[in-house]
Amino acid sequence: MTPVDPILWNDWHPVAARCMLDPARAHETMLLGVPLVVTINADGTIAVQRVDHAAPHQDERYGLVWVCLGTPTREILPIPEADEPDRPIVVVGSVGVRASGPRVIENFLDLGHLGYVHARYLGDDPHTRVLPYTVEPLPEGGIIATQCKMFQPQASPAATEGFMVDYIYKVERPLATCLYKANPVQRDRFDIIFLIVQPVTEETSIAHPLLLCLPDGTTPAALRAFQQTIFMQDKPILENQVPKRLPLADGAELPIAADKSSVAYRRWLSAIGLTWGVIRADEKARAA
Amino acid sequence: MSGLQPGVWYAIAAEHDLPKDHVYRTMLGGHELAAWRSTDGAVHVWEDRCPHRGVRFSLGEVVGDELRCQYHAWRFGKTGACTFIPAQPDLKVPRTIHAAVWPVALSAGLVWSGIEPTGAPPELPPGAVLRAIPIARAAASVAHALVKEPLSGLALVLQPLDETATIVRGIALDDDLVRADHALLALRRRLEQAA
Repeated sequence: MTPVDPILWNDWHPVAARCMLDPARAHETMLLGVPLVVTINADGTIAVQRVDHAAPHQDERYGLVWVCLGTPTREILPIPEADEPDRPIVVVGSVGVRASGPRVIENFLDLGHLGYVHARYLGDDPHTRVLPYTVEPLPEGGIIATQCKMFQPQASPAATEGFMVDYIYKVERPLATCLYKANPVQRDRFDIIFLIVQPVTEETSIAHPLLLCLPDGTTPAALRAFQQTIFMQDKPILENQVPKRLPLADGAELPIAADKSSVAYRRWLSAIGLTWGVIRADEKARAA
Repeated sequence: MSGLQPGVWYAIAAEHDLPKDHVYRTMLGGHELAAWRSTDGAVHVWEDRCPHRGVRFSLGEVVGDELRCQYHAWRFGKTGACTFIPAQPDLKVPRTIHAAVWPVALSAGLVWSGIEPTGAPPELPPGAVLRAIPIARAAASVAHALVKEPLSGLALVLQPLDETATIVRGIALDDDLVRADHALLALRRRLEQAA
């Protein structure tokens, strides 16, 4: 068996959303190949158990239940905006996807697919040109892409017309990413969308999107439905990528300038030595 | 790992599996393949994977004489070369961006491919190409069973999908297509039920 990646083993990952737990039924899931059982009592107390081992480190934040299977080397991903009083957190719901975690994150960063996979929502033909943007390393690790711009016909449920949307993307942990997107009403402020991926096995994941949007009259249900629609458009693409694990070797796939953030993400994963859900540069590609 | 013999032509589809605008997905010796037709009727067999981000071409769309990847709408022409990248419409596409093209031949109503196949595909008697019957057995055991108990009135070709499964295609040598089809189904039952 592949030794489990120490970076992910000692990090925190979401394993369930509180709003999806039911006292009448234990929630069975898996993290890094380890089966877990999540239960909630009638009084709302949540417990995560391992079948084969003492209970793992666990906590709850942003409406999600988080687990660290190893020894936590750092805090749960900090989201400072979660403390802003006018920014409710909307848990979109957990979506299983037969793709590796890094493939799911890379797709979230991708600008070139918006006009096709999300046509008439987040982009549209012929406005498919990816304008130059900037990618830089973050001081604490990870990457940030700024000055991203995309014409969007329906940027959010509240958008009444298409407009040029400004984006900033950040990847602060190998399997957590977020974007800052100009709010369609208050165009000088940002809505924030997080995508945190639960690595189930090397080739399967559960995506946990979170919305931290400024209230604009859209109900949480409408926000959730919009985001689920978007994710359901990505899912068949993700499940048809071959190989399932993200190849990190330069030249394994053929990026162009528009794919700058993908290149930076892959190089960062290589540099920190991530092994889970990737084909390392020094490893010969296994058959898909 | 593929179990394919270099130099050999394998039937990977029937011609009637490839109507206009369809991308046909199949496997040969563990390799995923996508087959499609350009407007001149020519058939193209490619590795079922866009070289950009690895998305299966079979998810994509035939647009005229090009195959368009479903992820970023990159277009690939008949030679396999990428012709257009919508994210960078002014880019002169580098020649290195290319689909992995497999050899192709059409004969006896079948589409043939393989690893560096030589000569022409095997000669087959004229007749109707029956529907493909997948059998959950390696090609070697299917071939072995057919040697032991040949099926009469049929010419057969085998497509090894991977190490565990094979497609059998029959060409009916008489007009009794139902009988020929039943013979193939009986073969499948016999092989799959055998321990």
